[in-house]
Amino acid sequence: MDMTAEMTPERRAELDARVQRKLKKRYRAAKRFHFYCVGSLVLAISFLAFFFTDMISKGHSAFQQAHVQVDVDYAEKNLRFTKRAIAEDMHDIVSRGWLRDLRRVKKENPELVGTKAVAWALADDEVDQYLKGNKDLTGDDNTVEQKALAARIDALKADGKIKMKFNVGFFTNGDSKIPEMSGLWSAMVGSILVMVLTLLFSFPIGVMTAIYLEEFAPDNRLTQLIEININNLAAVPSILFGLLGLAIFINFFGVPRSSALAGGLTLGLMTLPVIIISTRAALRAVPDTIRQAAYGMGCTEWRTVRDHVLPLSMPGILTGTIIGIAQAMGETAPLLIIGMMAYIPEAPEGFLQAATVLPAQIFTWAGMPERAYVERTAAGILVLMSVLILMNASAVLLRKKFERRW
Amino acid sequence: MTTGQLLLLFAACLLLLAGTAYVIGRRRAEGIKAGGTFMNSQPGQYGQFAATWTAVPAIVAAFVGWVATLFGAEIISGKLIIAAAVAAAVVGLVWAVRQVDPELRARLGVERVITAALITASMVSILTTLGILLSIIFESIRFFGMVDFMHFVTGTEWNPDAAPEGSEELITKGFGSLPLFAGTFLITGIAMTVALPIGLLSAIYMSEYASPSVRSVSKPLLEILAGIPTVVYGFFAAITIAPIIVAVADKVGLQASYQAALAPGLVMGIMIIPFISSLSDDVINSVPESMRDGSLALGMTKSETIRHILIPAALPGIISATLLGVSRALGETMIVVMAAGLRPNLTWNPLEAVTTVTVRIVDALTGDQAFGTPETLAAFSLGLVLFVVTLILNIVSVSMVRRFKQQYA
Amino acid sequence: MLNSSRWLVAAGVSVALLAGCGEKPAGETTANNSAKSDSTKQIRKQIRIVGSSTVYPFSSYAAEELGATTDFSTPVVESTGSGGGAKLFCEGTGKSTPDITNASRRMKSSEFATCVKNGITNITEAKIGYDGIVIAQSRSNGPLNLTRQQLLMATAEQVPVGGQLVPNPYTNWNQIDQSLPDREITIYGPPTSSGTRDAFEELVLESVSKKMPEYGKKYSTIRTDGKYIASGENDNLIVQKLDKNRNAVGIFGYSFLEENKQKVQAATIDGVTAVPANISSGSYPVSRSLWFYIKNDHIGKVPGITEYTKLFMSDEMIGEGGVLTEIGLIPLPVAERNERRATVANSAKLTAEMLAKH
Repeated sequence: MDMTAEMTPERRAELDARVQRKLKKRYRAAKRFHFYCVGSLVLAISFLAFFFTDMISKGHSAFQQAHVQVDVDYAEKNLRFTKRAIAEDMHDIVSRGWLRDLRRVKKENPELVGTKAVAWALADDEVDQYLKGNKDLTGDDNTVEQKALAARIDALKADGKIKMKFNVGFFTNGDSKIPEMSGLWSAMVGSILVMVLTLLFSFPIGVMTAIYLEEFAPDNRLTQLIEININNLAAVPSILFGLLGLAIFINFFGVPRSSALAGGLTLGLMTLPVIIISTRAALRAVPDTIRQAAYGMGCTEWRTVRDHVLPLSMPGILTGTIIGIAQAMGETAPLLIIGMMAYIPEAPEGFLQAATVLPAQIFTWAGMPERAYVERTAAGILVLMSVLILMNASAVLLRKKFERRW
Repeated sequence: MTTGQLLLLFAACLLLLAGTAYVIGRRRAEGIKAGGTFMNSQPGQYGQFAATWTAVPAIVAAFVGWVATLFGAEIISGKLIIAAAVAAAVVGLVWAVRQVDPELRARLGVERVITAALITASMVSILTTLGILLSIIFESIRFFGMVDFMHFVTGTEWNPDAAPEGSEELITKGFGSLPLFAGTFLITGIAMTVALPIGLLSAIYMSEYASPSVRSVSKPLLEILAGIPTVVYGFFAAITIAPIIVAVADKVGLQASYQAALAPGLVMGIMIIPFISSLSDDVINSVPESMRDGSLALGMTKSETIRHILIPAALPGIISATLLGVSRALGETMIVVMAAGLRPNLTWNPLEAVTTVTVRIVDALTGDQAFGTPETLAAFSLGLVLFVVTLILNIVSVSMVRRFKQQYA
Repeated sequence: MLNSSRWLVAAGVSVALLAGCGEKPAGETTANNSAKSDSTKQIRKQIRIVGSSTVYPFSSYAAEELGATTDFSTPVVESTGSGGGAKLFCEGTGKSTPDITNASRRMKSSEFATCVKNGITNITEAKIGYDGIVIAQSRSNGPLNLTRQQLLMATAEQVPVGGQLVPNPYTNWNQIDQSLPDREITIYGPPTSSGTRDAFEELVLESVSKKMPEYGKKYSTIRTDGKYIASGENDNLIVQKLDKNRNAVGIFGYSFLEENKQKVQAATIDGVTAVPANISSGSYPVSRSLWFYIKNDHIGKVPGITEYTKLFMSDEMIGEGGVLTEIGLIPLPVAERNERRATVANSAKLTAEMLAKH
């Protein structure tokens, strides 16, 4: 009190100025902090933007494939040694795989045999990559032959005899050692089979576990153990599930190696905690009044759950399940251990046949030395990402549309 | 007949029998009720009772038979098992249908079976953990029968070539796991340096500053980062980030390896951002509003409130999120398999190539070594260590969150 | 009255059901038993191949060819490594075990013994060609001529200096020999799990060290002081690295050199250049042979095995100018090729003596 009384106007002004300075500093700090926060979010989102731009710029070209116009002589004798069916100077321009498949003409289009025709043939991957600007054939490092090849390609292009067409084969072919022939078909079928099994395995068990823990379980040691255990399972590195799949499913239960069943079971166990945790959250969100009303009407515990709690929490459960399945769909590490990282060009016809999945195909292509596989890897990534984003978006929509706030 | 067809046949028979049991049981109960007798349960519940007692014995019989074949009872063929299971089902059906009676508490019986089924389902998760342990522990024991444990834990040289071959004594050379763990921690460290500040500050922005519309757009965008498969991140790190790092290092006069720890570390950090941000977002949101109000009322600026009130209050949750992020980074496989090196390297230089525990596991199990050599068995011991470490991190993290929740519940 | 008649109907239905369900299983039981005795019953549609990562590209190429040109399913090829392949192959003759395993070395006697122990006695051995291991450097350097002894000095953990084994002191090539260039030793090579590394150790380190009195025995430890940098096999980044860092040399398979000829060149070893002719004649000292092994018990049970092996062994595949040579296989000399082809065509049985002779 005394101090304020004694305070001279000068002193007061000085104090004011100090407070003002301090305040300014504090406001600056507040602004700075705000800026850091915005900056972080912008940074995180720009990573995402950079990632997608990068993948699109690397992968978009794989959706187009070079085709070249050739005169084919379907003479009977040429269909055994198919190189003879086309002019010699086209041998290094036309895909070896396309030539190989000419042998099937006899069976598939018998009316062509013995005739001559003009056909649009798949071009060799070198040609394709040169046209897309991914591979340099004219630089100082290149051999004389490569420069000559480049000149011939340019000439054909000028004549309109080389064209880019939509790459149908990328979606209808299986894996191939010939880059221009390789596609995602077998991996897509494999992914679907594996996901069906994952779902069949993890959904009922996951939902049942969640119902037990949330609605039935007494609060005892066992229940606590199960709860802790599920939390831990959610954090166990995925590669360990691969070791489990190898030791238990393949070696002990005799599930065929590389089969969709082995993959589905392994991924099913991995997805289990995700489904359990989200189902529990969904069940918990149903207010107790619903349960009490049901009991009041004479429902048993199970009937209450089955007829009232479960239907009300279904949107939440399904959302969690879709997210879990999407996660499993992108998982690769455990599949590496159980033999799904193999050369499996044919789509599996059953759950016990060897199968590969989209991420495994991406991994295999990423390790290939030919330049043409880089764009295919990136394109495969684009396909996988579109599926995953679609799944996640539908989960979000589902939640938005059906979620009830109590 | 393949296993698949057998299973289909089994399922079809079972469905048919259970369906029949339901219909018969229900009809019988309806019959009794129509006679005017008071029934303990609804007719449908008697049907369920009959169906349950048809299906459960069959499933149990089939399961027992199948387990027996696993343990080498070769004489039992798949068809025999199905025949036995169907027989069990019919016995169950006949018994259950005869039980239908006004006195029978069918409802309770069904309820008990369902509870038992629910408990069985919950056991799967326990069995999974046991399965993981079992599948790594035996090979680990074999490994530690060949390699000295103390050497494995404290040795600084990982070079299986240097280990003497075919000797009876415990190997004390070439299997020091420190360089592998150093590599793992280096990459994890880089990842957390990226993920923690960005994730935390983004979470603060979204929960404290952002308008609802910004929040509703940016949150799902961040979630996409978490949804990108790790194999995709691996390709991105190896093909895009690593060459950029080499080029940048070259510009400033440093030499970086194409497998520099920095590339997988950075990309892993990006992957972990959404984990940190969404978990931190949750805890920051659950700090009581009264604490914010109190602080603001005392004249604190918003940033001071956040730094001095909110973050300390939410700290257990944030630490827990960080630990989960670390455990995620330690066990991450595809990114390092594709983008990190293979040379065990005890270094802190992020521009050098290092290898990690998970890379060694994959390399040992898919490499050219003969199985049963210490080098392949090491994969299982490393897996065991990884399992234990992530387990501890997770338990600590969960107990942290619990403490936080208790504080503000 | 009404109740009991219903009960009778129900019992009748369930008996009929039991008969319907039971009949099939009973019939199948006999079918299954006969499958065990009948050796020509098909156990699987697709051939399963496992084994070496070096043979994998060749094997899957041949597999694709089989799938594309015949009506058989395309075989499934998995790269498990030579050792992993032998383990799976020798587990037994059951339908889940692989039909063929690839190897970038000959089957070891111990592996064959495991096979025999598990009842797999009828195996046919096939040799498809060679893969040379090259020591490569940037094209912009002058030619590099090395001996295996110099390579040992550059890569071993311990080297003899003045009659004593000491930790490798060499940091520059010209410290090893005045004739070598004054360049820092930086070697990119395969990791310990790799078959290429096994071969390098065996063909360079062990074969030289066993003749050097200082070692006294075979020595195969590669230095770990950072001069030797383990890198992924067939890694394109190695080539970029060699291109940028002219001091560095890389160790990898010949097939990989072939693909990157524009950027890297191979050193001569003991005066021999790494060209296919020298590798297949055996005069190039650092080369290894590539093999696959057929489980004859599965022939007839899995369709297409004979056709696959015949296709693989044909000149169209492994001969000079065959498609596999385009992706780096070095063919066998004509005479040996014909001999090997005959062995496979006759399904000649592999014996322990044949492996021991090696």
